[in-house]
Amino acid sequence: MAQLSYREAVAAGIAQELRRDSNVVFIGEDIASAGGVFKATVGLLEEFGPKRVRDCPISEQAIIGAAMGAAMTGLRPIAEIMFSDFLAVCWDIIANQIAKTRYMTNGQFSMPLVIRTANGAGSRFGAQHSQSVENWAMAIPGLKVVAPSTPADVKGLLAAAVRDPDPVLFFEQKSLYGTKGEVPEGDHVVPLGKAKVLRQGDDVTIVALAAMVPRAVKAAETLHSEHGISATVIDVRSLVPLDTTTIFESVSATGRLVTVEENPRLCGWGAELSSLVAEELFWDLEGPIVRVTTPHIPLPAADSMEDAVLPSVERIVDSVRRLAD
Amino acid sequence: MKVLMPQLGETVNEGTIDTWHKKAGDEVTKDEILLDVETEKVAVEIPVPVSGILTRILVEAGETVDVGTVLAEISGPDDSPEDESDQQSPETASDVTQTETVAAQPAAAPAGKDGERLSPAVRRLIAEHDLDGSLIQGTGRNGRLTRRDVLSYLESRPADARVVESATDAKDERLPFNRIRRATAAHMVRSKSTSPHVLQTIEADFSAVDRLRLQKRNSWKEEHGFSLTYLPFVARAVCQAIGEFPRINASVDGDNLVVHSAINLAFAVDLNFEGLVAPVVRDAQELKVSAMAHRINDLVKLARNNKLSADDLSGGTYTLSNPGPFGTFFTAPIINQPQVAILSIDAIAKRPVVVEGPEGDSIGIRPVGVLAQSFDHRAFDGAYSAAFLNRLKSLLERQDWTLEF
Amino acid sequence: MNDKIQNLKQDTRLKLYRSMLECRQMEQRAYDLFMQNLVKGTSHLGLGQEAIAAGFGVAMRADDYTFCTYRGHNHTLVRGVSMTGILGELMGRDCGLMRGKGGSMHLTSVEHGVMGSYAIIGAHLPIAAGAAWSAQYRGTEQVAVCFFGDGTTNIGAFHEALNFSVVWSLPVVFVCENNLYMEYTPIGDVTAVANPAADRAAAYGLESILIDGNDVDVVYATACKALERARKGEGPSLIEALTYRHHGHSRADPGKYRPDEEVAMWKEQRDPISNYRARLLELGIAEADLVAIETETDELVDRATEEASNSPPPPVEIAMTDVWADGSSSWRN
Repeated sequence: MAQLSYREAVAAGIAQELRRDSNVVFIGEDIASAGGVFKATVGLLEEFGPKRVRDCPISEQAIIGAAMGAAMTGLRPIAEIMFSDFLAVCWDIIANQIAKTRYMTNGQFSMPLVIRTANGAGSRFGAQHSQSVENWAMAIPGLKVVAPSTPADVKGLLAAAVRDPDPVLFFEQKSLYGTKGEVPEGDHVVPLGKAKVLRQGDDVTIVALAAMVPRAVKAAETLHSEHGISATVIDVRSLVPLDTTTIFESVSATGRLVTVEENPRLCGWGAELSSLVAEELFWDLEGPIVRVTTPHIPLPAADSMEDAVLPSVERIVDSVRRLAD
Repeated sequence: MKVLMPQLGETVNEGTIDTWHKKAGDEVTKDEILLDVETEKVAVEIPVPVSGILTRILVEAGETVDVGTVLAEISGPDDSPEDESDQQSPETASDVTQTETVAAQPAAAPAGKDGERLSPAVRRLIAEHDLDGSLIQGTGRNGRLTRRDVLSYLESRPADARVVESATDAKDERLPFNRIRRATAAHMVRSKSTSPHVLQTIEADFSAVDRLRLQKRNSWKEEHGFSLTYLPFVARAVCQAIGEFPRINASVDGDNLVVHSAINLAFAVDLNFEGLVAPVVRDAQELKVSAMAHRINDLVKLARNNKLSADDLSGGTYTLSNPGPFGTFFTAPIINQPQVAILSIDAIAKRPVVVEGPEGDSIGIRPVGVLAQSFDHRAFDGAYSAAFLNRLKSLLERQDWTLEF
Repeated sequence: MNDKIQNLKQDTRLKLYRSMLECRQMEQRAYDLFMQNLVKGTSHLGLGQEAIAAGFGVAMRADDYTFCTYRGHNHTLVRGVSMTGILGELMGRDCGLMRGKGGSMHLTSVEHGVMGSYAIIGAHLPIAAGAAWSAQYRGTEQVAVCFFGDGTTNIGAFHEALNFSVVWSLPVVFVCENNLYMEYTPIGDVTAVANPAADRAAAYGLESILIDGNDVDVVYATACKALERARKGEGPSLIEALTYRHHGHSRADPGKYRPDEEVAMWKEQRDPISNYRARLLELGIAEADLVAIETETDELVDRATEEASNSPPPPVEIAMTDVWADGSSSWRN
């Protein structure tokens, strides 16, 4: 075990895959010489050279298109989109091409590629550099969607994403880059589509993703120590495939579901999960499903406002308390 | 115009659609029979409220829904949006006046419990285990039942109630409870867990009653079309005895015994082994034997023809059970909640008895039967009940029954 | 260039003729089937533009990659893909190239190097660049050829892909089929330069190449040169080939936005097939040889039509397959 930051785990995860498979290549803007604008890819150019770690122009369509063309012809590219907001610039190639080509061609292609991107708020960058857009990706049939919350999961899920034969959107949460955690050394793979139960409780199931996971855990601690409410906390980790087995098992037991989502309210991932639970676990429910999300607004830049609109530990605690009897 | 699940009697909270006589798209005329609804113990025909087209049926036959649920929609010629808004939807009704909903709960429901708002998980558990939610102590907000409450209630039930399932084998026949069976089952369980039952029995000599019955036997039947049984005599004597022991005719409400002024005498009617109903003779204290006999006979006929109204079945204050015709010796009846006592009239048969006479004791042949009363020990004690039974016995044996006709 | 054209072998010429003719006859049949409502949805025909597809098809190596547009029936056919598979796909039959899951605008046959037909303007230029990058990375000397229309030169992806390909010196050939109209609007009305592709080559340090796209010999020779340059690692080319579509943009569009004289001129004087037939006769090729090709082509089209028509519709269950590599469409565990 090594103590790594979330950003170091990104580089460690990419490096693990570059070492393992010569067909793995890594491209993006400022990722090679500069080591990434978030310094998440430092040292990769030095170890693997410019053929495999390659800087690109500010051309998101070219980057993602190139990744797709390469994935269709035998490579396993990892492409970085600097901010997830910029996915909108190349969304045609992701949503119309990458996601659909296997299906449209009746399975003639596999699309083993990973699009890494820095997602989410907390850096006071304002509305175009702070969005949580995992729900965009989740809405497109044919895309797998992953968002790790810990350094260990960054490395393990990245490995699984690169080895997966399907396209994976890999959301790294900007506000977590500085967080640290134990990361297994050696080959570390965390399978896609497996949610992780972080804490077991009887009264309510709190399901969270990425930067909302540590907040949910903290809220659960407060709920336990100050209000006598015992909460299960689940890190979804992977929105597609969605581990309904693990989540349902817990919601069945507690009868209550609270989702904590950084994405804006409408059609956030928790809405889908809520609808699944309402449809399939209705008779196990003891109370309404509650979603704690960022409001349906573009994100403000000022720190005071940004902090106020993101789901906070306090808001999670309050929401759970209102729900619990 | 929305067709709602009607409130069929004061204590009825839900109903099951039995049959739709019309289908969506049909033209319907006011007062035609639209559908049949089955409530806990009664089937009711619901008429078309307004002529028009039955546009939608929202609750299919076989489904059980709460009172106030929209069952269907009829578009009439004068159906305007204003009418729609006048029709308060059940959602708004419950949103606006939660306190009213609580207030409208039957007296038997534990105070403060929001009985209308059980969570899906609790509803499922209650349905699966055939429970009566009102018997379970809620620990949630405002006394709401939580799943944990139901689970711990199930845990705390006697072991034999829980092992039924495991005692079955593959060849056994599984008969799903029908509505009336489920209601009875729930009611009985609730009664047993609510009231500490005490059984007392007393033997009564029905010679005086018999004398009158034998005397009237032929003329009564010719005149009235039905036989004169022991039941109206006992019923009459019960009412008279209650006059002296009014707490027998009461119900428990929290820490209060509510002693009723009127005697609404319920009596159990078996429906060919397919269920049990207990229609009510209201203000029975005012009826002599003859009138009592008529009222009982009327209600039995309605019961057997499934024509009892929900109100015929509600409001009883004391109950008579009458297994006697089957020759039973004595029966320990279960109290019909929220009453506090119930009397079983068992077989009245000729027996050798010691007869005390001026010339000393002799053995005589007399029609004798056992009267068995279960009472709620919360309400009063054994002496009160025993004194009541003793008074009942003496009324049956000694009064001049000819005055009753 | 002219030398090269003069020196074309006879069998190459016959291949080019046969290839164009197959395209022409197949698309004419596709139009007939569309009018009979046997081809549903949409259909974008390349009637009149066959020389470009044929010229490249004959010039390309078997393992080279083709990326084409929704007007891609011809580019698919010239790589050796079965005509039955193409017509079957247009008709939504089980024998279709993708068993009906893609349709007319997405013809793909990986085994023939047809890496897809792309229906969102511009998307496939960077994707072709990616395939070229992959070939470069793997050192296979494969070339990616990317066909697109004049309208594509005004979309961002065109410019991104060109810059990217030049910077990375990728083995890709971009072929702009300038048929003078984007959809219904003359390309000149909406473009800053007269030659929408050729005039932009300079911006990326590329040679400006503008050719007669209706002369299959010219196309073939140009293709050979660009392919060779790419294969040698000298980087991408951008070719603008002038051509004209005999039909409207799609479906039954009569193309009334175009002047009658213009249409008549292109059909009568600049038809790539009748002109090439005349040239072949001039060069001394026996008419009987050409008639034999024409007869065989007619038979091929009839046979393909019959096979496709006789193929059942695909089982609807396959609508739920192949979203993912494991063959499923399941999104939950």
